[in-house]
Amino acid sequence: MPSQIQTVAGPVIRVRDLHKSYGQLHAVDGVSFEVERGEVFGLLGPNGAGKTTTVEVLEGLRKPDSGEVSVLGVDAVRSPDQLKARIGVSLQTAALYPKLTVVEVLDLFRSFYPSGRSTGELVELMDLGEKRATRTQDLSGGQRQRLSVALALVNDPELVFLDEPTTGMDPAARRMLWDVVLGLKSSGRSVLLTTHYMEEAEILCDRLAIMDHGRILESGTVDELVSRRFHERAVRFDAIDGLDDARMAGFPGVASVKHENGAVLLFTRDVPGTIGAVLAASDGLGVEPVNLAVRRATLEDVFLDLTGRALRD
Amino acid sequence: MRALLLLTAANIKSFTRDRAALFWTLAFPLIFIFLFGSIFSGGNNDRTIGFADLDKSTHSAELQAAFASQPNVKLIEASEDDLVAQMRDGKLSAVLVVPAGFGATIDAKTAPATIKVYTDPAQTAAQGATFQLVGGVLGAVNQAASGRPPAVTFTNQAVQTQDLTFISYLVPSILGMSLMQLGIFSAIPLVADRQKHILKRLQATPLRRWQLVGSNVLMRLIIAVVQTVIIVGVGATFFHVEVSGNWLTIGLLVVLGSLAFIALGYVIASFASTEESANGMTSVVQFPLMFLSGTFFPIDSMPDALRTVARALPLTYLGDALRQVMVGGTAFSPLWLCVAFLVVWLVVCFAVAARFFRWQ
Repeated sequence: MPSQIQTVAGPVIRVRDLHKSYGQLHAVDGVSFEVERGEVFGLLGPNGAGKTTTVEVLEGLRKPDSGEVSVLGVDAVRSPDQLKARIGVSLQTAALYPKLTVVEVLDLFRSFYPSGRSTGELVELMDLGEKRATRTQDLSGGQRQRLSVALALVNDPELVFLDEPTTGMDPAARRMLWDVVLGLKSSGRSVLLTTHYMEEAEILCDRLAIMDHGRILESGTVDELVSRRFHERAVRFDAIDGLDDARMAGFPGVASVKHENGAVLLFTRDVPGTIGAVLAASDGLGVEPVNLAVRRATLEDVFLDLTGRALRD
Repeated sequence: MRALLLLTAANIKSFTRDRAALFWTLAFPLIFIFLFGSIFSGGNNDRTIGFADLDKSTHSAELQAAFASQPNVKLIEASEDDLVAQMRDGKLSAVLVVPAGFGATIDAKTAPATIKVYTDPAQTAAQGATFQLVGGVLGAVNQAASGRPPAVTFTNQAVQTQDLTFISYLVPSILGMSLMQLGIFSAIPLVADRQKHILKRLQATPLRRWQLVGSNVLMRLIIAVVQTVIIVGVGATFFHVEVSGNWLTIGLLVVLGSLAFIALGYVIASFASTEESANGMTSVVQFPLMFLSGTFFPIDSMPDALRTVARALPLTYLGDALRQVMVGGTAFSPLWLCVAFLVVWLVVCFAVAARFFRWQ
C-alpha cells in the first residue's frame, strides 16, 4: 500500500500564463491554473486542445515559450531534475520496451528510483497478474495502458500525471483505473489527468478545466461548471422532421435549443410544460417522439455551450 | 549504478529477443566465414609439413616414417629450398631437414645427430604445435636408445611466412565488418525507442542521459566481445586460423572499433526520424563500408579511384589494424595511423551526434 503523504500547505501545481507554439500553431495560448494537494484535477478537452503539451511542460519534458510553472514547489522549466523522483508519469501513448515482459519493465523502472512500490504489488493493483510474463508487444491496448499507469506509480509519487489513461480500456478496466485514482486521492496524493471522457471527469475530478484551442475556457467543480451555465434541465429526443428550432424555442419554459448527434436538446425551466408541448407538436405532425428523456445538464452540455461543438466527434 | 546495469540487461534482452539483430550480428559474419572458408581452404584438416631428406640412410627413413605415422600430419617431400619457398607462401606450417651424415653420426654414437626445423615465430600457435610434434617424435626415438645421451636433437630456423592464407586474411576482416554492423545498427533501436516515446518516458524518470547512452554502449561492447570470441573461435576450430597477437591489444582495438561505429550509429540516429529511415540509412552506410574497405580482398588490388575512397573509410583502418595484430597481416597503414584515424572518427561522430541528436 502507498504510504500516507504529509500535508504541506500550498498548491502542488501552479501554472501562470503558459505559452507554447509550434511554428504558427499556438498549442498552448496563455494557460493558468492551480492544483491543490490531495486533489484530482482534470484537463478536459478534444484532441488538439493543448492538454498534452500543457502536461508535458509540467512533467519537465518540454520547454514552454513563456510562463511560470511551479510543480511541488520546484520550477519545472529550470530544474526538472529535482522533480523527477517525486512525480509519476503516464504518457498519452504507452511507451514500453516491446521485447520486455510486464515484470521486466516494472523491475527496470523501479531501479531508477531509490524507493517505491514493489512489482508484485503493482501487478496486483493494475490486475496484470495473468500477463506478468507477457512481452509488452503482445499486450492489448488496454493492458498496455494499465502497465503504463503501473509504471507511473513505481516510485510511489506525490503527484501523478495521467494523460488520457483510459484510452483503449474496456469498461471493467476503466472502472478499475477509477478506483486506483480515487485510492491515490484517499492516501493524500494529487493527480492531474487529461481526458475527453465526460463521465470519467464527472466521477473522478474534484475540479477541472475545460480546454480548447490552447486556452482554458472555464474551470471549477463539475457542479459549478454546470450550474453556472444551466439552471435548466434538458428534454431530449430524436430530431423530428417539420419541427423547427424557432417553434421549439417558443415552448413553455424553454431557454435554449441545441442539437447533439441527431438529437434535440431543449433546456427548460418547465419540464412538464415542455414535454406536453413536444407531445402535442409531434401528434400534430402524426409522429411519436423517439428516445424522449429528461436529464440534468452535463459537462458535455457545458462543452457544447462553450464551443458550439460536441467533445467527441 | 543498479539502474545502469538493469538497463544494460534490458538492452541485452531486447537485443537477443530480436531475431533480425541476432542474424545480422552473429549469423551473417559466420555465413561469410563458412562460405569463403570452405571455398578457399579445401577442407583439409591435416597439418602439412615439408620433409627434406639429405641423408638417405636407414636412420633418416625411420625418422620420416615416425613423423608420417603421427595423426593429422601430412609430409611433403622436396628439396630444402623448394619446401622453404612453399612455406613462405603459406602452404606449409613447418619444414624438417635431415642433413647429410645424419645416419653416420647416430652410428658413431659420439655426439647427438641434429635435424633442422623451420617455423614462423609470428605464428606462435603453429610454432608451438610443431615443437610439440618434433619433441614427441624425437623423444620416442631417443627413448628406444635409453641409458645413453640423446641420439637426436633439433635446431630451429626462423622463416617469415610472408603471405597470409585467404582465410586468415578473412577472419580479422569479418570481425571488423561485424563490429561495424554492430555499431551502426545501434541507430535502429535508438530511433525506434524515440519514435515509441520510450526515450521521452525515460526522461520523466531520474535516469540521466549518460546512463541511458552508457547502457546502450555497454550492451554493444559486451556483444562485441561475444562476437570476437565466436568469430575467432570458428576461425581457429574450423579453418585453423591461428590468432597470435596480444589479447589486450586485440581487446583494445575491438573496443575502439566498436565505439567508432556506435558513434556513427548515433549520427545516423540523429538524422533518421523513423525506424524505416534508420533501416534505410544503415543499409546505405553499411554496404559501401563492407565492400570498399578491403574486407574481402586487399585494397592494394583495387583501382586507384576506389583505393582513394577506401583510404577515407574507417573500416579500412579497423580491418587493417585487426589483421596486423591478430594474424601478422601486411600493414597497409602503420598501426598508430589506424588507431589515430579511428580515434578522430570517434571524436567527430560524437561531436556531430551531440549537436544533432534529438531525444523526442
